[in-house]
Amino acid sequence: MRKYIFPVFIAFMLILPFLYLPVLSAAGAWKYPSLVPESWSAAHWDRLLASRDGILPVVTLSVILSGSVALLVTVTGFIFGRLLTGCSGKRQIQAAGYLAYAFSPVIYAYCLQFFFLKAGISGTIAGVIIVQFLLFFPFSVIYFISHWGRNMVSLEELCFTLGSSRRTAWRMALIPVSVPALRTAFLQIFVFSWFDFGLTQVIGQGRVSTLSLTVWQYLAEADPYIAAAGSCLLLLPPAILMLLNEKTIRFRP
Amino acid sequence: MNIKVNNISVNRSGQQVLNGLSFELEDGHILSVMGKSGCGKTTLLRVIAGLGSSDTGNIVIGGRDVTLVPPQERGAVYLYQEALLFPHLNVLDNLSFGLRIRGEHKKSADEKARDMLEQLDLASHAAKKSEQLSGGQRQRVAFGRALLVSPAVLLLDEPFSNLDSETRAAMQQLYRKMAQERGITTIFVTHDLKEAVIMGSRLSYMEAGKLHLYDNLNSFAADTRTGMQREIGFWQSFDKK
Repeated sequence: MRKYIFPVFIAFMLILPFLYLPVLSAAGAWKYPSLVPESWSAAHWDRLLASRDGILPVVTLSVILSGSVALLVTVTGFIFGRLLTGCSGKRQIQAAGYLAYAFSPVIYAYCLQFFFLKAGISGTIAGVIIVQFLLFFPFSVIYFISHWGRNMVSLEELCFTLGSSRRTAWRMALIPVSVPALRTAFLQIFVFSWFDFGLTQVIGQGRVSTLSLTVWQYLAEADPYIAAAGSCLLLLPPAILMLLNEKTIRFRP
Repeated sequence: MNIKVNNISVNRSGQQVLNGLSFELEDGHILSVMGKSGCGKTTLLRVIAGLGSSDTGNIVIGGRDVTLVPPQERGAVYLYQEALLFPHLNVLDNLSFGLRIRGEHKKSADEKARDMLEQLDLASHAAKKSEQLSGGQRQRVAFGRALLVSPAVLLLDEPFSNLDSETRAAMQQLYRKMAQERGITTIFVTHDLKEAVIMGSRLSYMEAGKLHLYDNLNSFAADTRTGMQREIGFWQSFDKK
């Protein structure tokens, strides 16, 4: 019996936030000290979906923005990781990559804001994509420097000696071999971007309305029910991506 | 094809790895290269394959100077200690990989790969992924993949070092038989004295960035650097007991 208690407890603690948010979003009346709502209602969801200009454009913008950032950062990190393989300053660059995470993303955004204002991209989607790229790109490079180890370089060399051009080697060997790593990087950066608040708030200047910012606004308005409904939407795309990633890894033929 | 290496020197970070190294290997021969760790054996293979550059000298394969030719066009396939099979492909696709990247049609490439599978005694493993094979089977696939592209020169860098002794012995026989049947000129780097003698139709020892080729097994055995006398002495000491 005892061997089940800890795994069940840990599993419950991990699942709790994911259970609590849908329950709160569908609660009609929920007063202390009840452990579960006394009644259920779809009113909060109706309000969320009908609120302001509608939630669908916000979700669409968030998916496009995070997808673009994740794709851009993953692809450039993959290429730069290869370019840095065998370079003498690789370790120093890898160490420098951590500098971007030495201070808060909001402070980082404020430091960069001047340049974004000068360039005229502050308050635009392009500006938010660029600032997120700047913050997440070092992570991608650090990640892919480790990926491009001796084994990957040897695979590339093997392709060459078998008669392959560089382009064919990448198309038929290196990219297919790297798919699990690329998928993991994409997923992680998508999640970073999806949940980003500070960078989007500062550089977007309130004109780029993502789902994270919208949920935050509901919280600021002290409306926990509608914020919970928004949070459920916020959790959905990363949860789907994680599930797909986990399934592909587990059921890889 | 015969291979001629003339006055090759490689200096890496102030260290003379290859020092005016020269040798010639006739068509269809297998040259065993022995030598201590760090003596430059791998560097020599990489320079011949075009994966590393030399400071001086030139390399001629089949009468063509390939010193400045990229690795893709040299016809010299380099095999590593690890089999380096592609994890996203099955055994058949791994075998036909070299043909496919050269633009051969899938059907024709698969036919040739199936023939090779038979010769390697791996026909029943065609659909398996590399992680489902043993170390010896993986090396056989890697060897078959190299043979299928009909290389001018095969460069083997301790390909059996990670195998157990029984598999190793079987692989030595298979490699030698198949390379000789196809008349492929081969350079075989090894630390193992017995393996060098079994595999090589020519024997050599590398030291201080230079390669010494022996005329026959007796002259190889007579050179104390090769360790053969010590090995013979070791086994003779059992006779005395």
